[in-house]
Amino acid sequence: MELLENNHMELAYKLFKRVNNNDFEYVYRGNFTQNITKSILDLAQINLRTGIAKSSIQKRVYFIMMEGMQNITRHQGLIGDKEIEMPGIFAIQKRGSNYYVTTGNLIKKENVVGLKSKLEQLNLLEPAQLKLLHKEILVSGHISNRGGAGLGLIEMARKSGRKLNFDFNEIDDNYSYFYFQTEILSNNDKKDFSVYPFPELDKNSVIDIKNLHNTLNSDDILANFNGNFNQKNILSLLSIIKSQINKTSTSKKLYNIMVEMLQNISKHADVIDDIPSEGKSGVFFLCRKTNQFMLTTGNYIKNNKIEILKEKIDNVNSKNTKQMSDYYNYILLKSGESDSKKTGLGFLDIRMKSDNKLIYSFRNINDNFSFYALQTSISLNK
Amino acid sequence: MDSLILAATEDTPEVNFVPEKNIFSFSNVSLPEDAIEFYQPIFNWLKEYTENPNPTTNFDFSVEYINTASSKQIFDMMLLINKMANKSDITIRWHYDVLDEDMLMLGTRYKNLLKVKFELVEYSNDED
Repeated sequence: MELLENNHMELAYKLFKRVNNNDFEYVYRGNFTQNITKSILDLAQINLRTGIAKSSIQKRVYFIMMEGMQNITRHQGLIGDKEIEMPGIFAIQKRGSNYYVTTGNLIKKENVVGLKSKLEQLNLLEPAQLKLLHKEILVSGHISNRGGAGLGLIEMARKSGRKLNFDFNEIDDNYSYFYFQTEILSNNDKKDFSVYPFPELDKNSVIDIKNLHNTLNSDDILANFNGNFNQKNILSLLSIIKSQINKTSTSKKLYNIMVEMLQNISKHADVIDDIPSEGKSGVFFLCRKTNQFMLTTGNYIKNNKIEILKEKIDNVNSKNTKQMSDYYNYILLKSGESDSKKTGLGFLDIRMKSDNKLIYSFRNINDNFSFYALQTSISLNK
Repeated sequence: MDSLILAATEDTPEVNFVPEKNIFSFSNVSLPEDAIEFYQPIFNWLKEYTENPNPTTNFDFSVEYINTASSKQIFDMMLLINKMANKSDITIRWHYDVLDEDMLMLGTRYKNLLKVKFELVEYSNDED
């Protein structure tokens, strides 16, 4: 029996519990390329569409996400190696009817004071003043050498109809992380400024992402998705991973294993309550250690299915290479399998491709359900 | 007999079975959630083709990504193809990316389980 002994079991549950039914949270940690930006936007768009958001809200969230990521890419590369060592973060969250878009990236400590006062000044402006400032910058053409002109920040402030939430986290004597959060309220649907005066900021939501970033940094987690799993989400998660990794034999393995693990959630996860949703609640994260990738999934499972599941995984884990291969052939040749969801090859295929045993764990939730986490490792030194 | 032409989607393969031109190709990705449902029309078409196949039939499989549910369905397709070997001169060509050892392994596995002529064809995809 392979139990999940590292802290990833705890982490899977901790991350899973962050998100309520029909909400979602997608966190990306790493460098940003055009492909990655596009895939993240696609994923968000799918999740926005399946939610209840009106299309005007969807557009606003989309715009703010794009602006936020472009902000990161524009400033990316200024800091050099430190950036690779301490990658930035992008998070999109849906909580109830509100959306939060947060970016976190490394900046030079000498720029903290200036940035802070700029943002504080923007937060003091009324909508009409923001509009005026926006126009002034456009007319005067005061474009910063990064091509930004601060227009992005002003636009985000205008589109969200809220104050800009931000925070800093000092890394060392030279660098700080700059966290920047925009909140979009979906009942704020009439005009950009319908909620003026802007309500006071709740710092907790940006601090929450700051803490999450710390966790992801210390566990080297590259991406994390919490929410409803369905085929559409899965395909966009896959395309993000595809842009995040190089085209090598290992990356293809990673992709294929991810397909099996994610479809495992969308096909087999149990639903703990009767709230209608498009997909099954689950959590996924990808972690990169020096010599391996680790993929972890988590979802609810009915307690009466646990024993059979354990047996299945233990069975696959107990086989040697020859036995696995024979078993694979046996399943291929076996005909008349009518249940489209149960090919029976999933765990076997994961085990063969990863060349590592599957690790699992169950955590009892109540009389009927448990939280089930599954982890696969793929060695990189091949 | 009519052709079977399916355009590729994000998670299903491109299928071009054109008896008139003697082209039988199956390519791209196969990751559908419900593989049995997706493959059913392909089986139906193949069964009909088996009745009265061309004298020579070459099947070209060139799949980049595949889920396990599909790998079973593709094998079932191959079993059907295998069955018409007495009516048509059949070759299955399994094209795989040189970097993709798992696709080579899967092709080899299929080859070993079938009696039909089966070629493993390597290709290199180094545009990026």
